[in-house]
Amino acid sequence: MPATTTIGRRTALGLGLASLGRPALAAAKPVKIGMLMPFTGPWAREGILERLGAEMAIAGVNAAGGIRALGGAQLILVPYDTQDTAERAKDGATRMIADHPDLIAGIGCWLSTFTLAATEVSERAKLPWLTHGYSDAITARGFHYVFDTSAPASYQAAHTVPAMLAMARAAGKHPTKVAIIGDNTAASVSFTKPLRTHVLKDLGLKLVLDETYTPPLADASGLVQPLRAAGADFLLLASSNVPDDKLLLDALHEFGLSGHLPALTEGGHMVAPEVVQTTGTHIVQGMMAVVTNWPGPGTGPLVERFMKRTKEPWMGQESIFAYGHIMLLRYLLEHGAAATKPGIAQGLRRIDITDGPARYFPGHRLQFDAKGLRVGATLVIVQWQGGKPVSVYPPDTATSKAIWA
Amino acid sequence: MLENVLNAVAAGLIIGCLYGLMCIGLGLIFGIMKVVNFAQGELLMLGMYVSLYLVGGFVALGILGPYIGPFVAALLAGPVLFVGGALLHRFLISHVSGLSIASRTETGGFGQLIVTLGISLILQNGGLIVFGSTPKSVLTPLSARAFILGPFPGGALLFLNQARVYSCAVAIVVAIVLWLVMERTRLGKSLRAAADNPVAATYMGIDVDRAYRIAFGLGAGITAIAGGLMATYLTFTPFVGLDYVIIMYSGVVLGGMGSILGAFWGGLTVGFVQQVSALVLPPQLQNAAIFVVFLLIVGLRPEGLFGRSAERA
Repeated sequence: MPATTTIGRRTALGLGLASLGRPALAAAKPVKIGMLMPFTGPWAREGILERLGAEMAIAGVNAAGGIRALGGAQLILVPYDTQDTAERAKDGATRMIADHPDLIAGIGCWLSTFTLAATEVSERAKLPWLTHGYSDAITARGFHYVFDTSAPASYQAAHTVPAMLAMARAAGKHPTKVAIIGDNTAASVSFTKPLRTHVLKDLGLKLVLDETYTPPLADASGLVQPLRAAGADFLLLASSNVPDDKLLLDALHEFGLSGHLPALTEGGHMVAPEVVQTTGTHIVQGMMAVVTNWPGPGTGPLVERFMKRTKEPWMGQESIFAYGHIMLLRYLLEHGAAATKPGIAQGLRRIDITDGPARYFPGHRLQFDAKGLRVGATLVIVQWQGGKPVSVYPPDTATSKAIWA
Repeated sequence: MLENVLNAVAAGLIIGCLYGLMCIGLGLIFGIMKVVNFAQGELLMLGMYVSLYLVGGFVALGILGPYIGPFVAALLAGPVLFVGGALLHRFLISHVSGLSIASRTETGGFGQLIVTLGISLILQNGGLIVFGSTPKSVLTPLSARAFILGPFPGGALLFLNQARVYSCAVAIVVAIVLWLVMERTRLGKSLRAAADNPVAATYMGIDVDRAYRIAFGLGAGITAIAGGLMATYLTFTPFVGLDYVIIMYSGVVLGGMGSILGAFWGGLTVGFVQQVSALVLPPQLQNAAIFVVFLLIVGLRPEGLFGRSAERA
């Protein structure tokens, strides 16, 4: 792995200018970006939200004249389907790379399990791969071409509870007892394991209820009912899909806990539009979710454009990540990176910016460490308020004040 | 502790009744026609979507409101899927089942597997194209409300989810009506005769292919009603059937093949074990508990838990 170095803006600009007039300009050959996502199967919704974000970014770039440094080259998105298993995701990556050897980069695959499988293929092909997978394992394998823009699960586990305590203190509360209800999928386990082993203890919190279930749930009442007697001051949910979210939210309401017990879950699924559509505004009110990206202050016009174009009620984690990934690749191409796999990989290793596409990522910094993890990646806490999810943490980028029930 | 036990038992019985109805649908197809139908989960899924569109798309059902409309829609999903199931049988399933392949037992089973697996994949991905990937639910305020009974000794309270209680009641009524149809009507007798001995039934003047078509349609319709009822408290996508198809087969085999009541009791047992096992096992082992009980029962009574009574019936 090459040592991380930085490209100054002037240097980058110089590289960009230096590239003008080269063969790329004359050819203006379209630049292909692969997108491997679940477009069918149980996770199709998330894959489609990613594609909507990427398509909007590409349409915007192309409408503005393409990549100027490459003579107006148009960007082309090459979508491939992971379907519903890690094996099929790996097959999808193999097909995508074989069918399109001229891809400059790949983006995917939303689910960490799929990303882990697909990047085994992309790594062998030396195809730079952008992901926002949560699993720590994605960047812990010594791979050289995988770049994760998300804060990993271990970071989320270590920082979520302190963030919740800060919100509680701001509301004049001092919670001491916590309950965990989570499923046994990879991301949820990565999130809850550190909580159980040391995070809660280090913070002086007592774990009064700890339930793990196998998704999908047929009924959540057996999980939620013991909460009534547990006396927890707040609840950490580690569910992983919308159907389970509905059952858990309905059960919390059914047992009279919603509105009284502050609760937070991991992942963007809890703040997807369909959660409120399948439950109700009063049922989701106050529920929080920790995500690794969310449109913050200054992204208003982008969000409005997205909503107008896609008819989605808001822009969430998946779409803004995909948008940001395309804009990051565009930045590299405009600032001197060759439109090749090695060129993009080198650009990703060297980039260090706090403006441009960095504003689409929490922490507003685009730099990758030796493992391929984005430096400064942090978490965002989003809360349902009045039927819409709004960011409430960190305070400097929050658009609303947290409600601590 | 008493509160935990009361709530787990109640949830087990209520969910079990819905599983029971779901299993009756498969029981008609797998238990009576001996068709291994991989697409049964997708028939459940279609029942959910038909119910959703009946509630949302028709003024008449809209007038019934969010309390009655969803249950009427679930019942109406039955006839819709009955027609769909009968057509499916007429044009696809009949080629790999029934009298026409009775003499080709070495290949007939394989044909069924391939055809129904193909139908399953087409319905899943066709559903994705038609209905989209966004999770849906039949909206009713009942899904987040409970009847609260008690206090019982120790201050224990029993919470009964209203959507599931009403769904359970409708499921029991539908199961009883179907049982009466099978036991007391000429149609039911012809279906049972075709199931017991198709060749002899033919000699008795029963149109076995027609009987199978009706059985398949009924199986699809009953499963669709179960799907519509479950849609009042569950969120679903075109792939929801995958989660329930194993439960359906477990219930049918557990209850004893070839019996309406057996399938219902089998489904009820599965639901009960799933919920009550959480009292003594970690919740993540709920489904493992189902299969431990399944293996125990099948090991001790290969004919199924209610196989004997089924034969008598």
